[in-house]
Amino acid sequence: MPRKLPLKERYALLTRDLDWEPSYVSKSDLFPYTSYEGIKVHDWDGWTDPFRLTVDAYYRYQAEKDKRLYAVLDGFSQGQGHLGLSDASYLNAIKLFIQGVTPLEYAAHRHFAFLARYLEGPAPRFAAMCQSIDELRHAQTQIHTISNYNKFYGGFHSWSKMHDRVWYLSVPKSMFDDAMSAGPFEFLISISFSFEYLLTNLLFVPFMSGASFNGDLPTMSFGFSAQSDESRHMTLGLEAIKFLLEQDEGNVPIIQGWIDKWFWRSYRLSALVAGMMDYMLPKPVMSWKEAFELYFEEQMLNGLFPDLDFYGIRPPRHVQLAITEKDKLSHEVYKILHNFSFAAAFTTQTPSPEHMDWLSAQYPDTFDRYYRPVWDKHRRTEEAGGRVFFQGLPQLCQVCQIPMAFTEPDDPSVLSLRHTTFRGETFHFCGDGCQWVFEREPEKYVQAWLPVHQIYQGNCGGPTVPDVLAWYGIQPGDNGEYKGSPDAQSWAQWQAASMAGGKA
Amino acid sequence: MSVKALYDYDFPSADRIENFGNDQLVYVHWEGNPLFCSSACFRVPRAMPFGEFVTAMVHPWASSDPDFDPALIWGWKLFGEPIYPDPAAPLESLGIGHKALLRFTAK
Repeated sequence: MPRKLPLKERYALLTRDLDWEPSYVSKSDLFPYTSYEGIKVHDWDGWTDPFRLTVDAYYRYQAEKDKRLYAVLDGFSQGQGHLGLSDASYLNAIKLFIQGVTPLEYAAHRHFAFLARYLEGPAPRFAAMCQSIDELRHAQTQIHTISNYNKFYGGFHSWSKMHDRVWYLSVPKSMFDDAMSAGPFEFLISISFSFEYLLTNLLFVPFMSGASFNGDLPTMSFGFSAQSDESRHMTLGLEAIKFLLEQDEGNVPIIQGWIDKWFWRSYRLSALVAGMMDYMLPKPVMSWKEAFELYFEEQMLNGLFPDLDFYGIRPPRHVQLAITEKDKLSHEVYKILHNFSFAAAFTTQTPSPEHMDWLSAQYPDTFDRYYRPVWDKHRRTEEAGGRVFFQGLPQLCQVCQIPMAFTEPDDPSVLSLRHTTFRGETFHFCGDGCQWVFEREPEKYVQAWLPVHQIYQGNCGGPTVPDVLAWYGIQPGDNGEYKGSPDAQSWAQWQAASMAGGKA
Repeated sequence: MSVKALYDYDFPSADRIENFGNDQLVYVHWEGNPLFCSSACFRVPRAMPFGEFVTAMVHPWASSDPDFDPALIWGWKLFGEPIYPDPAAPLESLGIGHKALLRFTAK
């Protein structure tokens, strides 16, 4: 029987001795993608992985976590756990999650598999392979976790098709497409560093804490199951950036450009999470503003960036713009979703008076002045039997693809509308951040598949709203106003039945 | 700066005017009305008279606001510049081209 080696030694053998020098092809033929971005790596062995996982250890950990998660899922499903949610409207956040986030896990799985083949060093290749398998596991376990709700509620079917077609899902999809169509080093900085390190706590934690506050045990358990993977991914992100910065001084300005671009791209995507946090959770956890201050300003700006200063890296360009938006971002985004939920696979509603009081307490400088009057008008309209929807299609930002609803840094009542001309054509942006991203690589963003323009080109099922909704895979009742929706009606019946059952 | 690639990176714009036949896209922003999250986007013939554009496209959209009164529309701007369009003039003759942004107020 072979001698059982210590883990550290096995890791060294796995990531060093399984590497070889090519003999019948050149190194640049074997690894064709690692030079054109201008990044120079002199010593791939300089990459150190603090986790030092091996294949057998990796599978053992993951199998144990899966076992625990699936036990929770079975128990929740057998015990009709969905009836213990805070309210059926909570599930709108989870619809957004499976439509918008789960397909990103799958996309990440694909591209980390690509890196596991094409990075030159054996240690980063192995780290990328583990992350690729993690991301696939996340996609699968999220689908299994959330599929239980599909038996009882609208909007949980067809999410994969929706991710490719529906207007608000083009926001996450196009961001990942942007990263996947970049070179391998830019992908590492975009997804591993900017998305998973800088903003992961803003993008991921709100869904999981929202789940725990609102009685969604399965989603919370999924969160726990993914947590150790996520911390490994964050470590990969930080290791990647430090490794590349240490390899060559010429890498610094290239990486700074990517940090500037990908902070803004990821931050813009997080706007959807901001709207979810402040408006979609019947029992809110913390406000977007509070989360932004804690997870981004304190932990990243004040914690991480002083360390990176040593390498000559400064905080992301446009970070001040993001800070000026923290009092208004969620309100502007939920306004979009509320205006357009007739064309979404979730429902929205005007916040209740109690919810508005919570918002007012969280946003003392802006809520009562800018947003409460608009919600009051919605309330009056709804009390008269109406419901305000945007009877048309919105203007989209060419880069983030979000309707152009963001406002000037110094005035929350004025839309920040930017445009530029490239090759004789006009392009519009939601603000300075997206305009700057466009102007770095206009040849890339002129190709954007903007859902509104595609509808007008006749590429989305037909000219009418029902045509487009059918093409999106949105079924009647998935969309629109929450109050009176099929979900709301079923919920009221089930709650009444369980009350009656309790009395008997 | 431009895109770094392993090949000649040259692709057409997805929304070039040729993709819209005789039509074009026009955006309209109702300034000072916070009920609407954003400007609206319309596909219209380039030869459509401005007055018809307003009544056929802008009015139905603006009616999303139950308080909308078409008689109160004024203050048209093309991008940031004030314009005083002849209702009979075609959009293209007024300089309202593909993906132009119009603004108005209604108070």
